[in-house]
This record gives sequence, C-alpha cells and structure tokens, in this order.
Amino acid sequence: MKTRLALVAVVALGLSTAPAAGAPPILIRNGHLVPVVGEPIAGGDILVQDGRIAAIGVGLVAPPDARVIDATGLFVYPGFIDAFSTFGLEEISSIAATRDSRELGRDNPELHAAWAINPDTVHIAVSRLNGTTAALVAPAGGTFPGQAALIKMNGWTLPEMLLAEAAATLINFPTTPRPPGEAAIATEEKPKVDLAAKLVERIAGTLDDARAYRRLKDAARRDPALSPPPFNPKYEALQPVLDGERPVIITVEKAKDIELALSFAAQQKLRVILHGCAQGYRVASAIKAAGVPVIVDDLYTGPSEYEDGYDGAWTNVAAMAREGVTLCFSSGSALNGKDLPTFAARAVAFGMDRDEAIRALTINPARVLGVAHRLGSLEVGKDADLFLTSGDPLQITSVVQTMLIGGEVVDLDANWWNELYERWSARPRPAS
Amino acid sequence: MRTLNVALAAALLAASAGAGGGSALLRGGNVITVAGPTLQGADILVVDGIIRQVGENLQAPPGVPVIDCRGRWVMPGIIDAHSHIALEGGVNETGALLTPETDCADIIDPEDLDIFYALTGGVTSIHTMHGSANPIGGRGIVLKLRWGATAPEMVFAGAPRTVKWALGENPKQANSPDSTRYPKTRMGVEASIRAIFEEARSYQRAWRDHQRRAAAAAKAGKPAPLPPRRDLRLEVVSDILAGKLWVRCHAYQAAEMLSILKLCQEYGVKLAAFEHGLEAYKIADELAAAGVGNAAFADFWGYKWEAFFTLPHSVAMQVRRGVVAAVASDSAERMRRLNLDAAKTVRFGGLTPDEAIRTITINAATICGTDRWVGTIQVGKHADLAVFDRHPLDAYAVCQMTLVDGNVLFDRAAVLAERAAREARVREGAPPPTTQTPPPGGKS
Repeated sequence: MKTRLALVAVVALGLSTAPAAGAPPILIRNGHLVPVVGEPIAGGDILVQDGRIAAIGVGLVAPPDARVIDATGLFVYPGFIDAFSTFGLEEISSIAATRDSRELGRDNPELHAAWAINPDTVHIAVSRLNGTTAALVAPAGGTFPGQAALIKMNGWTLPEMLLAEAAATLINFPTTPRPPGEAAIATEEKPKVDLAAKLVERIAGTLDDARAYRRLKDAARRDPALSPPPFNPKYEALQPVLDGERPVIITVEKAKDIELALSFAAQQKLRVILHGCAQGYRVASAIKAAGVPVIVDDLYTGPSEYEDGYDGAWTNVAAMAREGVTLCFSSGSALNGKDLPTFAARAVAFGMDRDEAIRALTINPARVLGVAHRLGSLEVGKDADLFLTSGDPLQITSVVQTMLIGGEVVDLDANWWNELYERWSARPRPAS
Repeated sequence: MRTLNVALAAALLAASAGAGGGSALLRGGNVITVAGPTLQGADILVVDGIIRQVGENLQAPPGVPVIDCRGRWVMPGIIDAHSHIALEGGVNETGALLTPETDCADIIDPEDLDIFYALTGGVTSIHTMHGSANPIGGRGIVLKLRWGATAPEMVFAGAPRTVKWALGENPKQANSPDSTRYPKTRMGVEASIRAIFEEARSYQRAWRDHQRRAAAAAKAGKPAPLPPRRDLRLEVVSDILAGKLWVRCHAYQAAEMLSILKLCQEYGVKLAAFEHGLEAYKIADELAAAGVGNAAFADFWGYKWEAFFTLPHSVAMQVRRGVVAAVASDSAERMRRLNLDAAKTVRFGGLTPDEAIRTITINAATICGTDRWVGTIQVGKHADLAVFDRHPLDAYAVCQMTLVDGNVLFDRAAVLAERAAREARVREGAPPPTTQTPPPGGKS
C-alpha cells in the first residue's frame, strides 16, 4: 500500500519544466549562431519569448520591452546535454551521507533517481560554466539500478527542473573477463560456462517474469473469478519498458558483451540505448546496423584493454562516429560534469568530426532521450536553453559568458567556486 | 673558482644525462622555451642528450637525424611532480604508523606500462612516491622515464631524495570507519610527527654519547662499550631533521598546512612542497614567504570533505602571490593530459599561456629539485622534450613525440604505422594478438 501511494506521488511530481511565461522577451543580438540543426548564421539574432525561441534571423527587431543581450564577438550554441551523470545524487564521493546513487540489492527497477536528486547540489552550478543545461541523472549498482531522470540544470525545486521523471530504465550488463594470455592458456583450463551469457539469460528471465505478471493481471481483469497476482513494484516498473514506451539504457563495455546486448535487445524487442561501449569500435557496424545509439562514458580513462591502443578510449569514439553510430557524450558523474566538453574535444583530437561532436552534445542526446521537440538545437519553438561563449565551446580556455535556461538568464557567478574566489581574493596580505 | 663551477656544472650535466644520450636536430618547431619567449620556427640541436643550440638554420652534424617539427609545438618535457607509477606492488605501508624506513628506490618497476602511457602525454620525468596512509611515510624518488632502461638507469641522478608525509583524512583514516589505528584526529597526526622527532633526537644523543664513551675507552685501552641498538626508522628521521631529505607533504586544509609549516620551522626541516594543497590559495602569502611549493591539482576536487573547499582558480591564485605551484597528476590517467589541466589555470584564475606551461615544467622541476637540468628549453639542459601538433593548451592537441635525453621514446607516427601493419596482418588472416606484452621500450 505504501508503495502504491509513493508511485502516485511520483506521477504527481512529474509535472515537467514549463518554460517561463510572462517574463519580458530577450533579444540576443549579433552573435555567431551555431544552431546545430541548420547552417551557422553570422551576425544572427535570437528572440526569446515565453521561455522559447520565438525567432532566429538577421536584423530582428526587438519588441519595445525586450532585454537586449549583445552577442557581438560571441558564439551562441544550444545548451549541452550530459547524457549520463549523477548530479544531485552524489555530492562528496567519500562521504556516505552525501551519496544516493547506489541502492542495496541487484534488481531495483522501481527506484527513481528523481526521488533523491538534490536540486541545490554544487555540481550543477559549476558544470553549467562549461555550457551544460540539461542532464540525465542515473542511479548505479546491481543489474537493474533503477530509472534515470532527465533534468534541466536550473530551478528552485526538482519539479521545476524535471524534463522527464523516468527518462530511461537502466540495466547493467555483465562484463566478460579478459581472455587469458598465452601463458595462462597453457596452464589453465578455459572456463566451460560462458558466465556473461548466463547472466544475460537471468536478465531475460526477469523480463519474462514481468511479462507473466502482466498476463496474470490482464487475465484477472478479464475474469473476475481469477485473483490478480500480489502487487510487485519491480514488475510494475518494467511494464513501460516491455511496452517499448520507455527506453532501456544498457551499460556494457567489451565487444563481445555489446554483441550480446544487441541480440538481447532484438530478442526482447526493447528500445535500447547502449552506454559505455569502450570496445564499440570493434563491433561498430553491428551497432549501426541495429540502429542503436550509444552514450559514451567518462573519457578520462585508459583503454579497455591494452590491444585497444594507448589512445583507445578516444579513437573508439571516433571510430563509432565514422561508422555512423549516433553518439551522445556524458560525464558519468557529478564530479566530472565540468569536463563534458573536454571529453568531446578528446574524441575530436583523435579523429571524430568536430560538428558531429557538437551534435553528440546537443541534438543527438535530445533525440535519443525523447526531448528533441524541446532541446538540442536553436530552432523556433524550442526551449530557450542556450549559451553565449567567447570561443569554441570545446576549448578549455573558452568562457561561457551568458546562459539561458527556459528563457531565463542564469546567474553563472552564483556557484561555490566563485563564492570561494570572491571571499579569498579579498584576503589582505598577512602582516609578516 | 668560476671556471671550476662551470666545469663542475658540465660534469654534473653529463653525469645526470648519463651514457646513451641521443642526438637529433628538431627542425622548425614553435619552441615554447619557458625560459624566454616562444620562438616561431626554431631549431633545437641535441647532442648526446644535451641541448647544445637553440636558434634558426642550425646544421645537423653528420649522422645526427633531423626531426621535422615544422607546424608543431615543442615544449620542455612535462614533469609530473606527484606520481605513484613505476613502483612494484603497493605504495602504502599501513601496518605501521610511521614508515620512513621504506624506500621507493627499492621497488622501481621499469616495465610498468604506465611509463609508456606517461610518455604518450609528453611526460619525461616524475616524482614517484609512497602513499598517504602515514604521517611520515616512505622515501620517494625522481625518475627519468627512460622506457626500456633498467631500474637504476631510471633514477634522475642528482635529484634530491624526498620523504612523503601526509596530513588529514588519509593518515587519520577518516574514510576507513573500521580502522582503530592511532591517530584518528589531525591533532594526533601532528603529535605523532613531533613525538618521533624527539625520539630521533634522543637516538642521535645516544649515539653521540656512545661515540664519546667509545673514544674514551679506546684512549684508556679499555674494551669498547656496547653501541645502542640501530634503528633504521630513526636514522631516516634523523636525516629529515638534518635537512638531507626534502619533505613532500600531502595536505588539503590551510590550517594543517600552517601548523606543519610551523613544526618544520621549529625543527629546521626542509619542507619542499605540499602535495595537492587544495586550500593553498588561502595561505599563498605564507607559503611564498616560507619558500614552500605546491604540487597541486588543476581542478580535481570534491571527492572528500577536505577536498571540498577549493576551486580551479587555486593554482593561479598561488602563482599570482609567488608560490611555486605545479599542476601534478597523482594518477596514471591524469598524467597523460597535464597539458589540458594546465589550460584550466588560464580559464580559471587567468594565468597567461606561458605561465600555465610553467606549472607543468619549470615549477614542477623546482619542486623536485631538478630545475638545473630540466624544465626549460635552454642550452646545456637535458633534451627532455615533448612535441605537440597544436599548442599544448589547445584542447585538440595530441602529443606526437616525446624525447628523453634526446632519445625518441614515444613517436605517435611509429605507433600508428605499427598499428596499421598489425591490422593489415589481421585482415590477411593472421590471428589477432592475444598476449599482454607491452610494446618494446628502449632507446631508438
């Protein structure tokens, strides 16, 4: 009973972020616009009204009450979307009281990240400094960690921030151990059981159980003589996944396991997004053929295995992009949120097309996460989630000057780092 | 006297570069000298591991290979002032509280693949050290990343030996709730250091007394008295008190840094640098006045309570107030992109690009005590060099080549060629490689 009430509460909570209505319009004037969908516009203007982009063009006329933001010499991009993070779930990783990402147990598909997100986390404000305006927040741990929420990086309360309270269900796939080297092959027996395949069978079994639960419920609804199965929150939570309403994000690393995941997705008829894919380059054509998008993980990492090359973490992304796989970048954690554009820059440095890298920060995640009607590009009718920057936003030395989320100008200076900077810059020289 | 000094310096340079220094002419790169302005399209002549000439239109002596660096950026090899790579086994001796008797020099692993990975990021020398579990930990050592050489050959000759100290959460084991080891507070950490200082003083007194008694006995023709029991730990602490070891002190909070600085001044200990020093920006004036450096992070933060009160402007704030601050890695992953971490000091805190480059070159060398030999591109210095395809602070920059003592130990073009050949073999039906054998290191 308690669980039922809680579920109702979450549904009520899921009033998604409505762009600000009634605020005075904003005209961004004379910027170098990079709409992502469509060609760049030199000396372009953007009119923002009621939180949305009302017009884009050259020489737009500002309404009389409009606030004008001069973008001369600046570049204007749609806000970046961090496609896998832990904003608000993890504050200080070594302090258990500030961690809310990892529940006990293996199968927790009923858990909602949205219940635990702290909207006041310091990591949101510091990660906005690099252009991020939205993020998927995902729990971790076990086989079914729960449901990820999609949030905007601004708002007083979580309901004000939420774009999708249950944007995706997560599944952690097993990782096949590295095949033994020559020396080990000579001395050790090969494992007889393919452990990863067995574990995937177990995941499929859980989904089958959820389907059986649904059939029992349906049967009881049709026939009053039958009693429905006892309420099971886990199987309930999996129904939108089985219906194909909600995507599943499968976290997977090795080439062999990616292939397992692709066949699993096809057999189960799920809407699958892969996450991680450190060896995706080895099976990129299969990923592309399956039409499955990939969320790239934290790129502050070495190669998955030595044979992937010293630069394997980055060439992997470039290779998948060349094959035409739809890619999204992610930080992987609240702490790395600030580094999202740098991850993209690493992929570009090692061979990814730069414009494709920008799409992988904007329109790709918007499409993959089902919010392309609102986010991911500078287009009339979309939410005014954008930023003005001094240069290429993938360059570490570029400075985001102005950011709008839902048509509201975000106070970029209101962040923990700046607070410390202001306070300690003012310290007088100590008497020696 | 002056001549003697010059001769001595030359001998030192030769000794430190060691036998096997390579020769090359790096042609036409944009040379970030660090010692002075960046030179557009300049040549660097390296003979036997030493930079002999920097300028335009230099001639390669017969037999000296020319490396085309036109359109590329040449900088001094990156120096990672805080590392734990190239060490065999663990780096924390948690069985005892104070462990200066342990020595990283005993466990140098010249085959650690991380040495190669460091080279791929342009890193040419590192200070590798004991962990942070102990208020006074083991001794650390500065290494040249002579991939392919033996452990003794890796040692940076002439570099001062160091000892690792640690303050705060790690030595008090704050994040290991089950630990019952003393100390559990910062007070206990400082007390344990002070206690062993006094113990070492007593130990030294006991030996002095013994030597006096032994001399007297010898004079009187009497049998020598029994000596005190030898204590290897207190002998190293005595070396610390004598200033023979440079202290590298892991610390986060400004308050504990000021406390340990006071303690070191009281006992005459050489405190070379704080490690991480995430709150060093708060006390930059005090650190500058005391001549204490900081092997900092650019913006790695927030992973524990003592790492929370910081900001990526920290390094710039330290540099602006005269602290010798380096951007260091403490990580086999981060060390491969120290140039990008240095770029963050431009974005946050407003260092100039040249100042940012200093934080991963000459400042790190100064902290490690190797600035006489490395850290700038200057005639007479070791030819430890990194070549990038773009300015090293450009987020798209990729290290193309790394030289140590004039030897090319990483060449991206060669790696790519080898990779292409392997892929071609696999396409032709050869089985894919299954071994974990690292690529052959060594001098080219």
